[in-house]
Amino acid sequence: MSDTSPINPMAHPPCKLACPILTDVREYVQLIAERRFDEAFATIRRQNPLPRVCGRICTHPCETACKRGQIEEPIAIAALKRFASDGPWKNQYKPVLPDKPSGHKVAVIGSGPAGLAAAHDLALLGHHVTIFEALPVLGGMLRVGVPEYRLPKNVLDEEIQAIVDLGIEIKTGVRIGAQIKLSDLFEQGYKAVFVAIGAHKDRKLGIAGEDQFEGVISAVSFLRAVNQGQNPKETKKAAVIGGGNTAIDSARCLLRMGAESVHIVYRRSRDEMPAAQEEIEEAIHEGVQIAYLTSPLKILGEDGKVSALKCIKNELGEPDASGRRSPKPVPGTEFTLDVDMVIAAIGQAPDSSLVADELGLTERRERIIVEGPYTLVTTRPGVFAGGDAVTGPATVVEAISAGKRAALSIDHYLKGESIPAIEPAKDVEKVSLARSVVEKTRKFPRCKKISLPADQRLRGFKEVESVFSEDLATKEALRCLHCYLGARIDAEKCVSCLTCVRVCPLGIPTTSKMGEITIDPFACQACGVCALECPVRAIDISLDPRTEIAQDIKKAMSTSQHSGPVIVGFFDLHGNFDSSDVENLRQDYPHVLPVMVFGLRRIDTSDILKAFECGADGVLLARCPPESDPFPEATDRVKRRMAHARALVEALGLDGGRLEICDMPEQGLVQKELIDGLIQRIKEPGQVRSE
Amino acid sequence: MKSGSNLERILEGGQFAVTAEAGPPKGSSPKVIQRKGELLKLCCDALNVTDNQTAIVRMSSLSGCVLLKELGVEPVLQMVVRDRNRLALQGDILGAAALGIRNVLCLSGDHQRFGNHPAAKGVYDIDSIQFIQMVKTMRDEHRFLNGEEISGDVPFFIGAAANPFADPFEFRVTRLAKKVNAGADFIQTQGIFDVPKFVEWMKMVRDRGLHEKTHILAGLIPIKSVGMARYMRNNVSGLSVPQEIVDRMADAKDAKEEGVKICLETIEQLKEVEGIHGIHIMAVAWEDIVPRIVEEAGLMPRPVV
Amino acid sequence: MITLEQKKFEEIEKMTKGYSRLLVLGCETCSAMSFAGGQRQVEELASAIRMAQKTSGQEGEVLEDAIARQCEPEFVDLIRDKLAGCDAVLSLACGAGVQLLSERFPDKVILPGCNTTFLGVTEELGVWSERCAGCGNCILDKTAGLCPIARCSKQLLNGPCGGSMNGKCEISKDVDCVWQLIIDRLARLNRLEMLEEIFPVKDWSPAGHGGPRKMVREDLKS
Repeated sequence: MSDTSPINPMAHPPCKLACPILTDVREYVQLIAERRFDEAFATIRRQNPLPRVCGRICTHPCETACKRGQIEEPIAIAALKRFASDGPWKNQYKPVLPDKPSGHKVAVIGSGPAGLAAAHDLALLGHHVTIFEALPVLGGMLRVGVPEYRLPKNVLDEEIQAIVDLGIEIKTGVRIGAQIKLSDLFEQGYKAVFVAIGAHKDRKLGIAGEDQFEGVISAVSFLRAVNQGQNPKETKKAAVIGGGNTAIDSARCLLRMGAESVHIVYRRSRDEMPAAQEEIEEAIHEGVQIAYLTSPLKILGEDGKVSALKCIKNELGEPDASGRRSPKPVPGTEFTLDVDMVIAAIGQAPDSSLVADELGLTERRERIIVEGPYTLVTTRPGVFAGGDAVTGPATVVEAISAGKRAALSIDHYLKGESIPAIEPAKDVEKVSLARSVVEKTRKFPRCKKISLPADQRLRGFKEVESVFSEDLATKEALRCLHCYLGARIDAEKCVSCLTCVRVCPLGIPTTSKMGEITIDPFACQACGVCALECPVRAIDISLDPRTEIAQDIKKAMSTSQHSGPVIVGFFDLHGNFDSSDVENLRQDYPHVLPVMVFGLRRIDTSDILKAFECGADGVLLARCPPESDPFPEATDRVKRRMAHARALVEALGLDGGRLEICDMPEQGLVQKELIDGLIQRIKEPGQVRSE
Repeated sequence: MKSGSNLERILEGGQFAVTAEAGPPKGSSPKVIQRKGELLKLCCDALNVTDNQTAIVRMSSLSGCVLLKELGVEPVLQMVVRDRNRLALQGDILGAAALGIRNVLCLSGDHQRFGNHPAAKGVYDIDSIQFIQMVKTMRDEHRFLNGEEISGDVPFFIGAAANPFADPFEFRVTRLAKKVNAGADFIQTQGIFDVPKFVEWMKMVRDRGLHEKTHILAGLIPIKSVGMARYMRNNVSGLSVPQEIVDRMADAKDAKEEGVKICLETIEQLKEVEGIHGIHIMAVAWEDIVPRIVEEAGLMPRPVV
Repeated sequence: MITLEQKKFEEIEKMTKGYSRLLVLGCETCSAMSFAGGQRQVEELASAIRMAQKTSGQEGEVLEDAIARQCEPEFVDLIRDKLAGCDAVLSLACGAGVQLLSERFPDKVILPGCNTTFLGVTEELGVWSERCAGCGNCILDKTAGLCPIARCSKQLLNGPCGGSMNGKCEISKDVDCVWQLIIDRLARLNRLEMLEEIFPVKDWSPAGHGGPRKMVREDLKS
């Protein structure tokens, strides 16, 4: 469901604000870091009915906004989404339908991402939804525009099926506006209609030879055919004109279908190319050649078939209305490419002609006009429109966003309420981190995606990228800098002692002359040192709050079976372990009760005492290996604190050997010998520690 | 004459003075002081009785002075401000005057932390310079620190310590000048091993004309062993023992003889320094060597004035 | 600030033995800033006392609370209700706070959990050093802004003594000779001549040697 409350840009991480559906990226990334994968998936799935699609082909504006990007490289959010959504735990998620249906029927026209998202949300709101699809298959551009190697059809099938299973009625092969008019739908009892017909109409090149020779084809037609298992034309040498994702998709498909050479012809330079950078890189890697600053002049042919493409080189002139520098042909630079096929990939447009009359659109209009981009209300009462049909070709997640907004608007409409025009905080200014913070932040390289070797890719349409392993996913998720989950000061409690100013490894807290402490909630990375060291407990952090640690200890103790010495084990999530290590620990040492924390920095002497107070016979603290620790400079502080704790434990008359502080192994949670040693010391106090 | 003491007469008479230390015992027997007095009476013009030296409790210096006086030896009453406030200091000064003691050495005293009662509360009501000034006022104006009148004379030859080897070196002469201005009639310096540094200091003293306003007695510490030399170099704050001295002691066949030799050589060098009016020998736990040193330094017999 | 240190646990344990309902009361200003008795140390200490009681088989309850300053009657009175059910208070305030508690709650046992150390500055986190002795008669204008009363081991006003070596005091290589610092500073300020004059003896009566001190501001008091 979409969040209907106004968005405060000062409280949400940039990844969320950058996402058209305001995905709680930070939350699911954190859950992955905590090895709580099922919860990570539920978090994603609650907001997004097509998580596996987005995990593969989303343009991930979240990554562009990611604060980590200012340090070295952004978190691989899309890959993490895919990891969380592909795992076996995904089947545990069950959407909850309302007990009572609303009794309203809603028609959704088009089964692309906008239509599917709207249908999903409307169903969850209790409405009866029928999807009308002109093609024989569901999915819209996801099915007929995106190649298999980027989005396998079975993945799409499964996601769509999960939506259909909410009780949605499907009518394929029905072209609304042709066989059935919008007004017919209302007569059939539909109370509202969402028009999400996409943008499937090609744009023409407008050059000589375009309509003259066989072998000129639009990208939309080409990809639609390929995606339906057909090969529109055998080709050896092809040219693709355009610089968007469709051009890249076409070129990469051509290679997979046996073309020996594929040239992309693009009129500007690489910097202006609208296709996703990584897609361009993959295409080049696979062997696509790109002629930048080149415009097609004329298609030449022999025997009625395409034989060559005449081109001219450009130079970049003054910026045009879009801000991009416009290409100017350079006389005398004409050249020809020998090709037997030309694909025009210079853009698509909605084909609104079938609903134009009923929606009062003028003939020349391609896009459907809505009253506002957030209400999606059209000129006709009860009819809403969104997705590519309204915006022109855009991204999957924007289409999903439109679908979700439409569902909300329709819901309001059906209830007879006014439709609120909630505008998300748009174009939130990117906040730059201070250079000192960037310098002090420990760098961790982004985990590389695993892709098929180029030669294997071109043998078919096998998915190029594979999903992260659990190991890589947790490692990548642990790179998250936890925007806005950091230190919060309770001004009433603060006594301006400056401890936070002094201990912060990043130098973030500042003080005024009167002792008012400010901690930049964006820059703070939630290491927790200040929260712990604060002598008046005026600071807490949202990531592992102190109260939660205390509860975790109690909770861990309550699960104890008391089958032996009870040990509370604090484990740093930054260690190199996976969920099976945790499971093995539970089985091998049922009396070791794990408490997982984002760094032992968070454990104070009082937490250790609390564990003993709650009945623990021993306490184990396992530090992550130094190479994984985002704040290694705090290690010494942690060690000294532990020495203080041990001294206090001994002053209490307990054997100091009941407290074990160790480093986690290179792989796994803890070395067995250390636990065995601790158990031994608990059973036979007074033994010298082996450290 | 300010006090009429033997030390004052010798110094004012322009003769080269010799003083030594006679430390009181950690006990109540008068014999220790008496033995030292008998030993040193012929080779020294006056004997300093230390005051809870290095903050270790001993018989009081006033008592020691009285014991010496009974033997006919002239004492120098050492008094530190560490253990007495202004009331006790003035009271003891009056008592000492009544008992016929005529020389007083006004000191700060080693910090109590070094002694055998490190948990003691240090008094430090006034400092050594203020103490000098206070005694001078008592003597010359017959007034207590609070301005009230004193009945009777307080005839003291007032002494002070100077340490040319402590830091900051440049300030050491200023501090001496303050002591002289406060009323120090004579000065006994810290033990001298580093003669060139001392000579440099004395030049600065002469530049300010201080050698004409007070009598400077150069301090000497005879060294018994290389261990003692090392200990003093490493552990005694405000002492400068050059490596050369330590090496000589280490290489010597007979360390004690070498120690005597070093001491005598030092005295010879110091005699040549303009403004030195005498020597003060601090032979801690080696008092027996003092007569020999004075003899071999050619300072015997002591003048009778 | 006034600096404090928490007493050794052994001493606290002995002192608090036998009370069935003990309130550990933090003081959130100087004591907190000294890491001796703020909320954090209250939690830690109360937990330790509970454990110690459990180990020794003592039945008892240990409560936790903290107020902004135990040296102010209005703050102290805010814990009156909580205190009603307690038989003793372990105050983590300075001596002033402990005594105000004693005065406000005549029927309760009030115990000191901290030692009040000195008036000082924070050199860095976890390191404090003395700067002021509260002598009641400031002379910093005459000593280059550095106090020989608080910082010279012998409180010399005409220092330094003969034990100053390499800028350090004779009592420890870890203690700066403040007179060296004074001389260095005056040299930098070109005011060394200030030290030529003999500094007169000090009047110690405002330093507490004139009896317990009290201040009254006629214009403020009620």
